[in-house]
Amino acid sequence: MTDALHRIGSGFKYALLVAYLAAVVLPMLWVVYTSAKSTQEIYQNPFGLPKVITAPNRQSAQTLAKNYNKAWIGSHFSRYFLNSLKVVGISLALILLFGSMAAYVLARFEFFGRGFISTLFLSGLLIPMQLILIPLFFQYSDMSEWLTKAFSPVTQSLHLGRAVFSLHDTHAGLILIYVAASLPFTVFVLTAFFRTLPNEVREAAMLDGASEYRIFFSVMMPLGKPGLVTVAIFNFLGLWNEYLFGLVFLNSDELKTLPLGLASISMQAQYKSDFGLLFAGLVIAMLPTLLVYIFLQERLTRGITVGALKG
Amino acid sequence: MRRRDQKLFIATFLGPPLALYAVFVLIPAFNAFRYSLLRWDGLGKPTWIGLANFQKILARGSDFLPALYHNAFLTVVPGSIILVLALFFAYVIHQRIKGARLFRIAFFFPNIISSVAIALLWILIYSPGGAGLLNNLLKSWFHRTQPIAFAESSHLLWALVPMIVWSATGFYLVLFLAAMENIPESFYEAARLDGASSAGLFRHITLPLMWDVLTTGIIFLIIGGLKFFDAIWVMENGRPSPNTHTMSTLMYSKVFEEYNIGYGTAIAVLLFLLVLLATLISRRLLTRERLEY
Repeated sequence: MTDALHRIGSGFKYALLVAYLAAVVLPMLWVVYTSAKSTQEIYQNPFGLPKVITAPNRQSAQTLAKNYNKAWIGSHFSRYFLNSLKVVGISLALILLFGSMAAYVLARFEFFGRGFISTLFLSGLLIPMQLILIPLFFQYSDMSEWLTKAFSPVTQSLHLGRAVFSLHDTHAGLILIYVAASLPFTVFVLTAFFRTLPNEVREAAMLDGASEYRIFFSVMMPLGKPGLVTVAIFNFLGLWNEYLFGLVFLNSDELKTLPLGLASISMQAQYKSDFGLLFAGLVIAMLPTLLVYIFLQERLTRGITVGALKG
Repeated sequence: MRRRDQKLFIATFLGPPLALYAVFVLIPAFNAFRYSLLRWDGLGKPTWIGLANFQKILARGSDFLPALYHNAFLTVVPGSIILVLALFFAYVIHQRIKGARLFRIAFFFPNIISSVAIALLWILIYSPGGAGLLNNLLKSWFHRTQPIAFAESSHLLWALVPMIVWSATGFYLVLFLAAMENIPESFYEAARLDGASSAGLFRHITLPLMWDVLTTGIIFLIIGGLKFFDAIWVMENGRPSPNTHTMSTLMYSKVFEEYNIGYGTAIAVLLFLLVLLATLISRRLLTRERLEY
């Protein structure tokens, strides 16, 4: 009796798990295979497989190609993609460099003001980005003006004319805030990590006459690789998906990152019924994160308690 | 000499990151409090008006209070569903069932898709215009010919509930699963010898021993709900209605569309204070719980 009840209970649990699995996976599969259909095909046969699969021929393959071509070239997804790669790539490199520099010093050296500086970085974990957004917007105007003025003697003497420096609507402006805003999380995680590294290695290197700089770059950084990788993954995901700062600081279409480009095609009325394009754009936007996930999911889910702080 | 070298090393390593952080995070954060006390259109001369912005925000009939209510809705309604689902799934997967790894990997995936992509995915699911998944399902199952505008502004908040649950449950599942795996098996064995039921094990061992992770999870849900922006912005085409404004979207509209910088920043300051309050309360709860052990 209890055995039968138990079996019903576990069958019920399985049914719920499988139902939720379907709810998670099916919409994504639907997006992927619908991206191979023309808008007309979607209207006529919303759930059927695309003709590329049921009747693979030149014409049905063209529908698939047309959707992706429209998204990748026509709607500038190639450009958005490259912009995202550039902005996130440069930001990540700087975050890892500056973050590990600060974390290493805070973790391994005794000096006046260490506690205060640690707390200062830590307090950044409590600051929602919304708080700094507006003042930063006006600060960027002031800084751009100041930079232009400060550099005008230099540019004039080099006969470059009147060069204008701007942090608004430039990748540099976005990268600077991405790097600065990622430092609290990065420094926090890496400080804990650098504390766990053995001191003997550093002492041995010192006896060999290596300078502190050399020790950091050729001994400590390589040893810190696991920590750096964890931090890099979470910062990558956070920045690759970032929307609000991009929305405020980038206006020109040719500078937009992937989330901004995707948002603008989903918000523009002219595309509202071009479903082939919308589905293809969505697949292009989801693909890189899917790849990262497939390769790094074990590390990601293991580091979850760390990554949770990033939000 | 050696000591001076070391001091120089510390300064060169700490200087650049600290300067970046101070200029682009700390100074604007500090300025936010100053801005919230001004009346300013962003161009002319700002006027100091003390706490008038906050008075206006908290006055009866202001546009802030409905926005705050929407944030509370988007925290509590999807949040409680997420907690129940994530706890249940974590508990079931923890029992080493077949396919545990597959479930964990698949459930977590939506968590890493960008919020804009998730918004577009759900726009397509809800779409009343021919391609919409739900309307097509209704049509083929119930022969309903009149499409329903699920994501209409007047009930968009309800439409966001499944989307948020869909995208976030996997994260909390993995978080709770990690906590459950940290509980020593011997605790369960001892209780089982005393004749405890599996419901009893869950209530008296699993839940109390993962209490701090559960509290942390709730805080993440609250903070996420307080900051909610992306999906509403995209689904409302950048023009949220009074039915859908959250604190963040209202802040954006006030500053960049109505040029009311002081008022917008005052909203950001209140948002920050709420995040701070949530964190402090959770700290309190956590330390008090620890003392009991």
